Amino acid sequence: MSTELLKLVAGSNQWWALTPEITVACAALALLVLEIFLPKEQHRFIPHFAVVTLVMVLGSVAVTFEHAWLGEQLFGGLIKLSQLGQIARVFFLLSSLLVCFLATICLPRTRMPRVEFYHIVLVVTAALMLLAQSNHFVMFFVALETVTIGFYILVSYFRDNALTLEAGLKYLVLGALSSAIMLFGIVLIYGAVGRVEIDGVVHTGFEYGVVADFLRHNPHNFLATAGALLVLCGVAFKIGAFPFQIWIPDVYQGAPTPVTAFLAVSSKAAGFAVLLTLVLNVFAPLSAVLVPVLSVLAAATIIAGNLAALSQRNAKRLMGLSGVSHAGYLLMGVIAALSVPAAANAVWFYLFTYLLASMAVFGVMAHLAGADDTHQELDHYEKIARERPLLGAVLAVGLGSLAGIPPLAGFMGKLLIFVAAFQAHLYGLLAVAIGGVVLSIYYYFGWIKAAWFETWSLNPAGSEVSVRPVTVPSWIGRTVLTALALATVLLGFYQEPLTSWLMK
Amino acid sequence: MIALLNHAPLFGLILNNGDTGPVVPAYGLPAYLLLSAVLFALGFIGVLLRKNTLVIYMCLELMLLASTLALVAFSHFQGTLDGAVFVFFILTIAAAEVAVGLAIIVALFRRRHTVSVEELNHLKH
Repeated sequence: MSTELLKLVAGSNQWWALTPEITVACAALALLVLEIFLPKEQHRFIPHFAVVTLVMVLGSVAVTFEHAWLGEQLFGGLIKLSQLGQIARVFFLLSSLLVCFLATICLPRTRMPRVEFYHIVLVVTAALMLLAQSNHFVMFFVALETVTIGFYILVSYFRDNALTLEAGLKYLVLGALSSAIMLFGIVLIYGAVGRVEIDGVVHTGFEYGVVADFLRHNPHNFLATAGALLVLCGVAFKIGAFPFQIWIPDVYQGAPTPVTAFLAVSSKAAGFAVLLTLVLNVFAPLSAVLVPVLSVLAAATIIAGNLAALSQRNAKRLMGLSGVSHAGYLLMGVIAALSVPAAANAVWFYLFTYLLASMAVFGVMAHLAGADDTHQELDHYEKIARERPLLGAVLAVGLGSLAGIPPLAGFMGKLLIFVAAFQAHLYGLLAVAIGGVVLSIYYYFGWIKAAWFETWSLNPAGSEVSVRPVTVPSWIGRTVLTALALATVLLGFYQEPLTSWLMK
Repeated sequence: MIALLNHAPLFGLILNNGDTGPVVPAYGLPAYLLLSAVLFALGFIGVLLRKNTLVIYMCLELMLLASTLALVAFSHFQGTLDGAVFVFFILTIAAAEVAVGLAIIVALFRRRHTVSVEELNHLKH
């Protein structure tokens, strides 16, 4: 073998750039190996291994945040390392870490196997990180399906509960439907772009750059436009935008609480990471079609989510439907980003505040859930604030931030997006969004009221709603919940660290 | 692998070599695309209208196969191998999806003794 060839091989070794993903995936496999080799009484340490790995990978990504390879395309254009990709990595690792924390509270209540749960969470995390950095439709589809199939399993994880299985089936059918629609869109784009030769090298319509070039020259190509819209339909399913939000309440209610949190935060953020890449980089030349379509979607999403959430009494359905309206605000940010570049950072800022606040609320929900994870009514929150002041306070901070009450982080997130939308002249959409925020205060405060104030109820005490045992938070639980609430409050007053980091 | 194929003009050469091309398809690209669109529509309508979960699942597979057909047709007529390679990824993903999906359907059938979507509506409030 000639030395030139060896040099070429060594020079083209780009696997180092994917160390975080590879480490997380290897750790996922190591969990299963550990389960085989460790004696049974030490199995409770296996989740700790998952958490420690996530913390270490998170640390390493934070240290190497400004990577030497930033902006480069790897593996012949399959992956593109970017600033947004690094932010997405941090986001997904942080979110999975908190999901693992929720799982340590919820899983011991059931007789389900535990190690596999963390295994799938880690696999999904690695796929999420790849998804956010993909630069090629094949990579994109494979990563997305890895995430989706992982979620099929996670949603129906408590398989002794018929409602959970029903939720799993609904997610399965609708998820597969959206994947099929998205795949057809990818195929149409591939067909429209056809064979492109650049410097003697054949490129196809799977590569983002080639598609963007093609659309720039043929913005009225019917096949490519139809393909782009079909792909965006699949993404709209992930984020729960208007016509595709029908799965959200049922699946959120039936899924185990940690999985609901994972769906609400990571799955939604993955959808937005993909949407930002696709809309801003690939489909940007189609903005004449995209802006009206996405604007109608955003307005309908905000209205549908808020109206449906008004009458909900189940805590998980309420979180799901209010999450739909959050997707609407974020969608508005994505549209604004087409003309105001800073809006993309506003979207990520919003996602981080949403992560902190949602995880705080889900953390409280995980402590309050009884044996039947699907049955979490607002009535169960009665007297929580008196009996467990910490849980009550964290709940109030989290819900307040989701509602967008001024001193909290959620308010700043909404403000940044609304300012960006104003700069982008999206006045009609802005009016709908502000109306939506006002509506959302009603149902979020209904929940806070249920937790903090004596309520007069139709059924006198002791008849129907029995007092439910609340899991007493361990010192880890107290630390994590307090940290989430404190971060939410601090970010409301002082956004400098996060914004400067996002806009590096 | 796809990356490799992209950087090998050789493959394009082989595919473009019309004289020695082994099979000349009897129908043009539009015929294949029409068939693919009809299959996709059939699958989509089936998912929306059918009541049996297993039949719905078959319709979903039909939609994936419709995309696969269009992919192979494009790949053949445009002389790029990427589409044909993507088909293998799609088949693998579809297999994984079926494995998980059937497991969920079987587990649900054991609990509820039905696979009809009309009776699977207990998740309401």
